[in-house]
Amino acid sequence: MVTTSPNIKLMAHLLRRAGFGSTKEQLDEYLSVGYEKVVDGLIDDLDSSRINDALVRRYFPDQSVTHDTSGAGSYWLYRLVSTDSPLREKIALFWHNVFATGYTKVTNGKPMSDQLRMFRSHGLGKLDELLLKLSKDPAMIIWLDNVDNHDGAINENYGRELLELFSMGVGNYSEDDIKECSRAFTGWSIANSDYIKELAIRNSIMPYGKLAWRYEYKEDDHDDGEKTFLGRKGNFNGEEIIKIICEQPATARFISRHLYHFFVADEPPVPSWPYKDPQDMGAISILEKAYFDSGYDIGEMIRVLFKSDFFKSETCHYKKIKSPAELAGNVLRTTEEFGTPNIRISERNSQVTFMGQQLLNPPSVEGWHQGLEWIETGSLTERVNFASQHLGDLSKPGVRKIVGNVIAQAGDSMSAEECVDQCLSQLGAIQTSDYIHNTLIEFAEENGISGIDLAKDKDTAIQKISEVISVVASVPEFQQS
Amino acid sequence: MFPVDTAIGKDGRMHTVSRAYVPATAQLRITMYDIDSEYFGIYGGYGERVGEFRWPTGMAADAEGNVYVSDEQNNRINIFSHEGDPIKHWGAAGTNEGQLMGPSGIAFDNEQNLVVADHLNNRIQKFSKDGTFIMSFGNSGEGDLRMPWGVCVGEDNSVYVADWANDRIAKYDSSGSFLRAFGTSGSGDGEFKNPSGVAVDGEGYIYVTDWGNERLVILDKDGNFIETLRGQATISKWADEYFEGNYEEAEPRSRSNLEPDAGQFGGDPHEESAHIEKFFWGPTSVKIDDSGRIYVTESNRHRVQIYERTR
Repeated sequence: MVTTSPNIKLMAHLLRRAGFGSTKEQLDEYLSVGYEKVVDGLIDDLDSSRINDALVRRYFPDQSVTHDTSGAGSYWLYRLVSTDSPLREKIALFWHNVFATGYTKVTNGKPMSDQLRMFRSHGLGKLDELLLKLSKDPAMIIWLDNVDNHDGAINENYGRELLELFSMGVGNYSEDDIKECSRAFTGWSIANSDYIKELAIRNSIMPYGKLAWRYEYKEDDHDDGEKTFLGRKGNFNGEEIIKIICEQPATARFISRHLYHFFVADEPPVPSWPYKDPQDMGAISILEKAYFDSGYDIGEMIRVLFKSDFFKSETCHYKKIKSPAELAGNVLRTTEEFGTPNIRISERNSQVTFMGQQLLNPPSVEGWHQGLEWIETGSLTERVNFASQHLGDLSKPGVRKIVGNVIAQAGDSMSAEECVDQCLSQLGAIQTSDYIHNTLIEFAEENGISGIDLAKDKDTAIQKISEVISVVASVPEFQQS
Repeated sequence: MFPVDTAIGKDGRMHTVSRAYVPATAQLRITMYDIDSEYFGIYGGYGERVGEFRWPTGMAADAEGNVYVSDEQNNRINIFSHEGDPIKHWGAAGTNEGQLMGPSGIAFDNEQNLVVADHLNNRIQKFSKDGTFIMSFGNSGEGDLRMPWGVCVGEDNSVYVADWANDRIAKYDSSGSFLRAFGTSGSGDGEFKNPSGVAVDGEGYIYVTDWGNERLVILDKDGNFIETLRGQATISKWADEYFEGNYEEAEPRSRSNLEPDAGQFGGDPHEESAHIEKFFWGPTSVKIDDSGRIYVTESNRHRVQIYERTR
């Protein structure tokens, strides 16, 4: 097996976690920049507008108006596979899972897309600002019924989840705190709320399409009375509640654990957190300190995370299972199938759903549980088929490029082992177990790669190498991150 | 579902072609109706056989009332009768003269030849009605096009092109020589952002669906800026009928503000149009009928706004 330098392994690890993997070509570019600068660039790159929205909208009116999950989901997938700011999309995926909002109740793709746009813009910023945006987010206001949270008749749904699932976690507040929190958010509503609610219930697009939603503060419906929240007294409105929440050590712990769970290694599902300690308390403590030192800045926490020894350690490489969206992002960026928008993006979006993750429609307010829960008999088959089918398809420009690079590294012939090592390298310096490595070599040998004269029979070589790439895409390490 | 162009056919009959949610191909079709909301039926559908299309984009009616429809995905022109019966199709994919890569807007010239915006080949091609290649232009020098969309033909047989990626309207004479361009990139008066359609009336006034700015822009024959329309849609007869049968929606709608202050949307025309129902949203084409009425097809609002000149 070719020995891969620690620098290459580390950069490949970063690009899998902070983005959607890389080809060797991309990896080499990042290596020339250096790890620390790459981390800074990923976090500080504020340009999330490089996606050519006009091009998408010209071809796909359904992705322009984003009424439904198909159009809005396809649009997001197009962003995942074409962005130059991968961490922006990754952080949107992160918050989409933490602040899980679903189309089933919202029944309008545009507010969902608007929410994701807000995650891209503010997801790497300060938590208090993000929670404020979230509390004014029309999709969230409908999703957790704050539209029905009135002065004198509170609806606790948003207040409860803000504390339980979005900031502090169970066990760190009382039932009275939930009630007082909910009182503070009375009047945080949306414009035309009665009409919007009716349209949402009926999933109506008549007569001129679904309306766009916008936040509206209804002062006359806000409970301005004194409240007691987490031991503090005052005539709190939502802004003050968020400020108090962000000051809590429990919030620092909760957010740190989520970031560790998403970027470093799988933690148990969130509902068990009150009863199970973090697997790496030292790492969580470092992130908690970064939270307070930076004034609740998520981007700064992630900067600390990516530059920490616990993230760099090879013990956490390949310890996460790619979500279907991450896997699709990795595969489709590699195949370069969507250099320009084309009609197949909707089909690919459906395939992400078949793998177990319908974008914009998490299964519940808890989001997807991640980790091993991505893998079940049906979804594993879909995942393997998806990766193998697309990465073995020579009609895709990215696949042809990789095969060409493999051949360019060889002389007149190549051994099965050389072929396998080159394919693993070209797909982003993938490290496999010895067992998997030997199995791949056996396949390549049986496939006849070592007997081919590359100068005379290039077409056969191209075909055989694409078949090896297809099998590489099915190994556990490719499905992992 | 998502109308992208309208042809004004015989007796003023309107033929509007719609794209669809990509998986919901059953909604891909052409609807026949008139200005009084009289409905005459639908025709066309998803596929590759005669009378079918996959990415319909441009429409034009010839002097006999037959309707021509471009198909960007199948790289062909479909022909239907006035009643929507499929007649034939022609066109083949490629980059050579006479071949097509994403045919978008189409229009007939004064000799009943079809002008086609061959958008991924960045050129205009002219064909006879039965598909015989006549000429191509627009892919060199000052008149170099980038992803052209809508086209129209003036009374003198000059060709106007919505030069989408160049943010301008390009004008050529009947032999394809570049004459001049109107507009520069931007959102001010006389500026365009990804124009999708262009039409010229009998007096030479130029109407542009300035798609990226979500508006209709009117220029005089010399290209001087006259006026911008942002959209003034009213409730159609079909919409009225819908509300009559759906009181649960009509009642809260009557208490809603569907014309909020545009200033709160950060100057983004796409967002303004998403929130203000009467505004154009996704205006993909503009056409003018024999009486000078102006028809703007809006893909995102699923409707056609019709205007009459007042001066």
